[in-house]
Amino acid sequence: MSTVQVEAQGLSKNFFDQSRGEVKAVQEVNFECRGSEIFGLLGANGAGKTTTLRMISTVLQPTAGTARVLGHDVVSDPVEVRRNLGFYSASTALYPRLTARETLTLFARVNMYPAERTRSRVEEMIERFGLGDYAGARIEKLSSGMKQKVSIARTVVHDPPVLIFDEPTVGLDVLNALDLQKAIQELREDGKAILFSTHIMSEAERLCDRIAIIDKGRIRACDDLEGLRAATSRHYLEDIFVHYVTGNDTPA
Amino acid sequence: MDWTAIRLLYLSELRAALRERAVLINGILIPLLMYPLMMWVMFSGILFVTARFESFASRVEIAGLPAEHRGLLERLEEDDGQVEITEVEAPRARAAAYREEVENRLLGGELDAALIFETTVDPPGNAEVSLLSNGSSDQSQAARGRLERALSAERSAWLDRIAEQHGLEGAEWQVFDVRSNNLATGRQMGQFVMGMMIPLFFVIMIANGCLYPAIDSTAGERERNTWETTSTLATRRIHIVTAKYLYVATMGLVAGALNAAAMVVSFRSFLGPLLARMGGGDGSGFAFELPLTSLPVLLLTAVLLGALVAAAMMILAAFARTFKEGQSMVTPVILLVIFPVVVLNDPSMSFTPALAGIPVVNVVLLLRQAIAGNVLWLQLGITVLANAAAIAACLWLASRILRVEEIATGSFEGNLFQFLRQQWRPAGGKA
Repeated sequence: MSTVQVEAQGLSKNFFDQSRGEVKAVQEVNFECRGSEIFGLLGANGAGKTTTLRMISTVLQPTAGTARVLGHDVVSDPVEVRRNLGFYSASTALYPRLTARETLTLFARVNMYPAERTRSRVEEMIERFGLGDYAGARIEKLSSGMKQKVSIARTVVHDPPVLIFDEPTVGLDVLNALDLQKAIQELREDGKAILFSTHIMSEAERLCDRIAIIDKGRIRACDDLEGLRAATSRHYLEDIFVHYVTGNDTPA
Repeated sequence: MDWTAIRLLYLSELRAALRERAVLINGILIPLLMYPLMMWVMFSGILFVTARFESFASRVEIAGLPAEHRGLLERLEEDDGQVEITEVEAPRARAAAYREEVENRLLGGELDAALIFETTVDPPGNAEVSLLSNGSSDQSQAARGRLERALSAERSAWLDRIAEQHGLEGAEWQVFDVRSNNLATGRQMGQFVMGMMIPLFFVIMIANGCLYPAIDSTAGERERNTWETTSTLATRRIHIVTAKYLYVATMGLVAGALNAAAMVVSFRSFLGPLLARMGGGDGSGFAFELPLTSLPVLLLTAVLLGALVAAAMMILAAFARTFKEGQSMVTPVILLVIFPVVVLNDPSMSFTPALAGIPVVNVVLLLRQAIAGNVLWLQLGITVLANAAAIAACLWLASRILRVEEIATGSFEGNLFQFLRQQWRPAGGKA
């Protein structure tokens, strides 16, 4: 069994909101993710998925608890965490005035990929994601499908062992979403530890090896699909989700 | 400091900026082309107006011209043959109705100017003369000018003849023989004009050059959703901010340096010849040349001012979540920087050590001294220290601001002043 690549212990995040006062966005979240595993965070909008992933990616600092990526603490060693991490989300757009090739080179170099191998790595990514004809075009000129491919390429160009995909298919059409899912599965086969958040049940069912159901900032259940089915006596993930989130029993 | 990451991010910002039309226009094209264009327009305009005046054929009427002054007609006819003269005999000229008729014809545009010799007085040849024209007409003004020049020439020739008859030399009857002599060389005159203009526009251009990049690299990133992308890079936030800061300062420095170079070239190519044509200077014209010693000081002032303005603008822009918000937050910096320059743009102001302690003002005065080829080393040292202290204070404040997570992530709803109020509020006042 692969080693633990990401672990969160008692991870919590509070925000201050002008109208609502202190908001507990994430409360004592615990999980771990291993290499060659897609670990899903399944929750409704506002459940705390993005906040959790932002803490692991060091964009936000936890209010309490710890998270480690390959043993590096997200608070005390954020640069090493980011070096070993690729973060993809709907809110991580690309620089519109750079070309795809320039973007990949920048991310490889700043994320400390060896300088002497950067050129070949960038060309490898261009080839792998089918960017050849567009590698020299500015990002702002690309279609949304091509932008998405460049985004994935820039997430993995420095070959990080851990990848985070935060609701990656939001706003994509069916074909592009399927392409993305395929790419994520291939990355798992490459041995990556993947944290994947979504509110789409079918996506979680298809991709995730283990699923954590998150609601109001807390993890309500965490297991593989079979385990969740056994624990709830329900077959469909949608029913399992409703069971944990609302507490209302739908017919088994 | 991870200078490799800073260099990569800095070059990436620069590359992206040079592909943005607004940055190119504000940071490079306007500073570079504004003065050549402005001077060209001014030069062309003056030539056009002069040519237009010279091309007017003036219709003038001369009434009651005494026989002693018939030479006046020859002088007018010598004026490129552009004067159509109508003569009126003396008896008619002295009639009251005649004057009224001439005035009506002038106001109606039938006539451009009239010269009426109303009465002759002793000694013979002397006369009271009325020169009538219409000040609201270009043509009438041109005619008036021609008549005045001819009258003046005729008066001088008349006086010379009278003096000769009395056996007097010109210097004896003129009482004062004034020989005006401007001791300043053309180069000094040029440096005076440049000292008045370059610092003012230099500051404006540096501020203008920093404006768009400062907003684009902060609020612009948030608006484009690339801020979070940047903050996931494997380098410390301070390196990201340093790279952005260096980029903004570079754009300001480039704008200022290009502008100063363009201004010197424009002065030499357009303003110098123009002033010489208009009779400025001591005949040798204005020489717009910068002393070699001023070039390093010019560069130093551009660096200091670019660094200071960039830091101030980035502090304010850090709070903006959209480009529009950024513009409204940062624009006051431009006014704040320009205000002292405009107020203190007095050539008699001396660059004292006390003034050298005031950022922006000191840079302007230092620059003016340098253009005049006179570098005051004590003031230069104080200027560098004062600006370095101001830049350090701005960067310290920036690092305090960026430690606040809400600001770094763009969720802070406020500006610098609200932030400072929160910081100084007693403990417990903020959740």
